[in-house]
Amino acid sequence: MTKRVLIVDDAIFMRNMIKDIFSGGGFEVVGEAANGLEAVEKYKELKPDLTTMDIVMPFKSGIEATRDIIKHDGKAVIVMCSALGQESLVMEAIEAGASDFIVKPFKSEDVLSVVKKVLGEG
Amino acid sequence: MSKYLGLFVAEATDHLAGLSAELVALEKAGAEGGATASVVDGIFRHFHSVKGMSASMGFEAISGLAHRAEDLVGALRRSQAKVEPDTADVLLATVDALQAMVTASASGTPQLPDPALLARLEGVAERARGASAAPVGPAPPVKSLSVEAPPEAPPAPPVALPDALRASQEESPSPAIIQVSVRSDALPAGRREVAIDVEIAGTCPVPAVRAFLVLKKLGSYGTVLRSEPTASDLKAGRIPQKRLAAVLESAAPLQTLERVLRQISDIGAVSLRESEREAPAPISQPQPTSPSEVPAAEAQRSIRVKTELLDYFLDTVGELILATARLREVGKMIPNPFRPMLDEGVDRLNAIVKDLHDKVMAVRMTPLAQLTERLPRAARDLARRTGKQIELDIQGSEIEIDRAILEELGDPLMHLLRNAVDHGIEPPHLRLLAGKPATGRITLVARRERDRVLLEIADDGKGMEPEKLRAKAVAVGAVTAEQAAVLSDREVLQLACLPGVSTAEVVTDLSGRGVGMDAVKRTLENVGGTLEIDSGRGIGTRFLLSLPLTVAVQPVLLVLVGEEILGLPIAKVHGAAQVELARLDRSQGTPLLAYGGSHIPVRELGPLLGFRGLAPGPVRSVVITEGDGGRVGLAVDALLGQQDAVLKPLSPPLDQVPGLSAVTVLGSGRPVFILDVARLLVA
Repeated sequence: MTKRVLIVDDAIFMRNMIKDIFSGGGFEVVGEAANGLEAVEKYKELKPDLTTMDIVMPFKSGIEATRDIIKHDGKAVIVMCSALGQESLVMEAIEAGASDFIVKPFKSEDVLSVVKKVLGEG
Repeated sequence: MSKYLGLFVAEATDHLAGLSAELVALEKAGAEGGATASVVDGIFRHFHSVKGMSASMGFEAISGLAHRAEDLVGALRRSQAKVEPDTADVLLATVDALQAMVTASASGTPQLPDPALLARLEGVAERARGASAAPVGPAPPVKSLSVEAPPEAPPAPPVALPDALRASQEESPSPAIIQVSVRSDALPAGRREVAIDVEIAGTCPVPAVRAFLVLKKLGSYGTVLRSEPTASDLKAGRIPQKRLAAVLESAAPLQTLERVLRQISDIGAVSLRESEREAPAPISQPQPTSPSEVPAAEAQRSIRVKTELLDYFLDTVGELILATARLREVGKMIPNPFRPMLDEGVDRLNAIVKDLHDKVMAVRMTPLAQLTERLPRAARDLARRTGKQIELDIQGSEIEIDRAILEELGDPLMHLLRNAVDHGIEPPHLRLLAGKPATGRITLVARRERDRVLLEIADDGKGMEPEKLRAKAVAVGAVTAEQAAVLSDREVLQLACLPGVSTAEVVTDLSGRGVGMDAVKRTLENVGGTLEIDSGRGIGTRFLLSLPLTVAVQPVLLVLVGEEILGLPIAKVHGAAQVELARLDRSQGTPLLAYGGSHIPVRELGPLLGFRGLAPGPVRSVVITEGDGGRVGLAVDALLGQQDAVLKPLSPPLDQVPGLSAVTVLGSGRPVFILDVARLLVA
């Protein structure tokens, strides 16, 4: 079954890029969110199989959003999108329940390989 | 990537416009006494977004500059100090510079930031850091995107290539190897301790975070009793060996834990081991010098022995073998009634000595892993330096070989690896043009074949060109044009091992020009090994190393010249023939023997060794052996047979005589020199 993905990033540019990666990799992108607040709302509404989460976002950070989503659904699979230099933030996100992370700038095959592994398909 | 360019410029411009407004607000707030945290947060986010999107576009200069600005704002945020007017100034100037760079990138003419601006940014950041409670490291060079990365962390990975988003032809990173070793006892039902050793892939840009994720995931299946590095080490970015060793108390089956680890990316080798509760496996840094990770119980039963002592044992056992052979010879002179009793004693002594010899040899055996474990890192560094993509596959590193040989193998292996990366594997674009995957593949396979260890190092690169080698070998005077003409392509490849011969067109700092291949061959031969080269144009090159398991005992062919007995290493002997030299064809006075489809020059061994007054008969025994860059026939008076010889190194001044490599003592007590034919011929 095609896995459903929610993309969370405050930059449209990044969202488009990530969306293309997933569409090209056989996933269905079911929704997008531009900040942490929206992310939690959309997650509850869409129940995606996978959520990609930017860390630094307005209103509510990706870490807080991850914490909220995991509180709501302990089985949620959330992959953090981080940049080099954000190591401590990523570890905070892992403590909050993130399943894995990717480091920007990323290549499409790296992204797909990480999420497939995390979903137990790799 | 160009389809994202418009969106990138538009969105980056939005962020930069937002930055200008917020920086002005910051300056105002600063003047009025203390910036509000939310304004600083917003500024940080804008710079962060510009950094991330420009890095994704491959605009390193932009992302580097944005990173420095982000770093400065981060320091401001931590220090919560008043924002000085010049801080806002320099940040505004940075915004302007970024805008100019973004615009320039849209027109395809990337710009670099003004060094003066970088210096100003650095100066202000220095001050902000001084005021900050939690200091961060110095700002990285513009090219790097890392600031909080641990000092051991590798350099930032190459920024995504413009075509990175298309389903590229590049191969995905090599699949993680998962090895699970389970002790044979059944899995206990309850909780027990599991020792877990995880290697983080060398390509992982953030190994500490990876290891932290591993710890966290393991933690959800039990209790992590201890780990090295600890979680707080990892939080501080410390993971010096890129390895995580943890002891987990858990009831989960090993298979479950293995599956969990398998779902994590960037993981290399993994080992899981159930350990006794009473004797938990000690967690320690892996010792680079230890042959392999030894289970705790075994480690306690091992001791370290000086290698000199091992050499002494071997030497003494060698003497014992010789002494036993001498006793047997003497026994032949004893009158019959007493002889069986002596023979029986000698047989028994011989068996004990043989057994002792085997045990001493076994102690000296060391797994190849001790050498091969350095290679992946070396390959990675070489690949980076040459801009090539390399995948190194090593098999059979558990195979053991005498440590004396192992010690000699280090340089040759490294040289062959360098050669493969430097001269074998093509740059990615040329590989793609040739219809190969962009990532070059180098394999090192070790296997045991009877009493030899075969090591094969192969690459799928461009291969060697026999014609060029032939021409070069003639040009440097290593062979004559006539000699070159009669060599087969395969024999020509072996010419690469002659001093000064190489097809390399560009001299690089990696492998130089021809220097080394001759040294490689010589080193291998000195330990009784051989080197063969095989190469196909466009297909790749394969080096086959055949090595004896042990150095000390080697089969030799004994030959007679005049009254002298001499030994030739069997490893280099291809065959023998009885010939009448006078009837052979000649080239420039040297007789040529037709052998194996080619003509081999035949030399008299006696004169080569400086023997005088010999009167050889018309029919000669010719031993075909490896000479200096090709086969050579050595004419001798008689072949005496093959024998396992205990080789003893020559001591001065005999070691200075060219062409002699060692000495052995026959059962009769007669010393026999072992010849190094290649050196004998060039002497």
